[in-house]
Amino acid sequence: MAASTYSPSQGTERRQRQQQMRRLSIQSDWDRSDGRSFIQCRPAFLRTGAANAASGSAYAEFGTTKVIVSVFGPRESKKAMMYSDNGRLNCNVTFTTFATSLRGQGSDNKEYSAMLHKALEGAVILETFPKTTVDVFALVLESGGSDLPVIISCASLALADAGIMMYDLVSSVSVSCIGKNILIDPTNEEEVCQDGSLVLACMPARNEVTQLTLTGEWSLPKINEQAMELCMDACLKLAGIMRSCLKESANLSN
Amino acid sequence: MVGLSEGEKQFLRGGIEQDLRSDGRTRLQFRSVSVETGVIPQANGSARVRLGATEVIASIKAELGKPSLLHPDKGKVSIFVDCSPTAAAIYGGKGGEELSMELSVALERCLLGGKSGAGAAIDLSSLVLVEGKVCWDLYIDALVISSDGNLLDSLAAAIKAALTNTGLPKVNVVLGASPEEQPEVDVSDEEFLQFDTSTVPAIVTLTKVGKHYIVDATSEEESQMNSAVSVSVNRNGQICGLTKRGGAGLDPSVILDMVSVAKHVSQQFISVLDSEIAAAEASDE
Repeated sequence: MAASTYSPSQGTERRQRQQQMRRLSIQSDWDRSDGRSFIQCRPAFLRTGAANAASGSAYAEFGTTKVIVSVFGPRESKKAMMYSDNGRLNCNVTFTTFATSLRGQGSDNKEYSAMLHKALEGAVILETFPKTTVDVFALVLESGGSDLPVIISCASLALADAGIMMYDLVSSVSVSCIGKNILIDPTNEEEVCQDGSLVLACMPARNEVTQLTLTGEWSLPKINEQAMELCMDACLKLAGIMRSCLKESANLSN
Repeated sequence: MVGLSEGEKQFLRGGIEQDLRSDGRTRLQFRSVSVETGVIPQANGSARVRLGATEVIASIKAELGKPSLLHPDKGKVSIFVDCSPTAAAIYGGKGGEELSMELSVALERCLLGGKSGAGAAIDLSSLVLVEGKVCWDLYIDALVISSDGNLLDSLAAAIKAALTNTGLPKVNVVLGASPEEQPEVDVSDEEFLQFDTSTVPAIVTLTKVGKHYIVDATSEEESQMNSAVSVSVNRNGQICGLTKRGGAGLDPSVILDMVSVAKHVSQQFISVLDSEIAAAEASDE
């Protein structure tokens, strides 16, 4: 008997699912596919020391989004670069070819490197490593939604693991707006049919936002009361989880 | 741009604190904007915008293409910004690549709205001719000729003007005998369809220098900035996109304050821009 083969759904099935989600979005309360409520983030799994060759590294798994970040440095800047009193931060985000359901789709997100740089720039104390460069390489192993916030949080954990001086850990979450509802930490399915999104990266202890990006139509009170406060609160809790992860690895090495 | 001396930096910052900038403007005043449409005859739509010494050209070309498998009922729009070396020597070769990408992504975010298409300035489903088979591919290409600060706002204004100037040719579609066959398309040379650009937003960039925000910064003022927030607002006062640019962290209450200031300033800017575009279109005919 011939075994049934698996092929990823395209076209009609996916459209049907999207149409169903659109119909649900008009209601105010519905179950998300993984059973979470609207204001619940996915459980976070964080580990430092994932890559041996790097000065510092971290692995983060938020549901189906898996990211590994390695930090090299501070190391000598290229000779072509000018002398600088401040250190340089160089960020690079790459997607593996198998990260997305369609092969090679990750290369659409070339702007993530610049956005990661902006999010971390405000937190790293560049004056502590003049003339040198710190390289941050992020590799997305599986893209399951809300990629950039996971990359930012994992990168700041890797920087802490490498011993780079920072003002505070940077944690980041994103919210999706579907109809009138705001969902935190969206998965891929939810992101595809979103009407708007807000990605926020902040340093919770300093109460400072290092990166904020809004897409779609928003009204001012919606941005403030619903989305931003929700995000800041989630970032605070995520930073607490990141800190306990760092403490654990410090205890283990002792 | 030659570097600024300490004295010049103090002058800039002090002036901003006293609500009097180097060129005599107040903090929330735009430079004079001038718009010319129809500058590129081969393109479906084009415009050239001058905001002080910043000069940009936007051109829109429409080509027939196939809609993507994921969204068979939507056309495609792609925005590409090119920073030409005539604006600054470092933009030659690969130097301007990072800036170009940042500007392209910010513009795409403001004009195309959420992934489901809600809040988009250009209604993608209006670009489809035969669902799943034929659609319009809009290529929006912008070129920065001269840069004196505030590139994002001028680019958004140029794209808005170019869209107003765009005429999509009318297409007669003859469906094939069976559903699998490619339909035949006949592109007319005579009749054109215009875009409705009343929902296209304008972008206002607020630059924070010291404790105050300024609108429409020149490149000297931009070199002194701590951080900046670019807000895209449409005529109804809805926020269509927001990007925080620049390094330093900002308190959330400061960001919200900047957003409401941007909303207030943008209404005036949009009306000035609309009247300039209308004047340019009228003089074109």
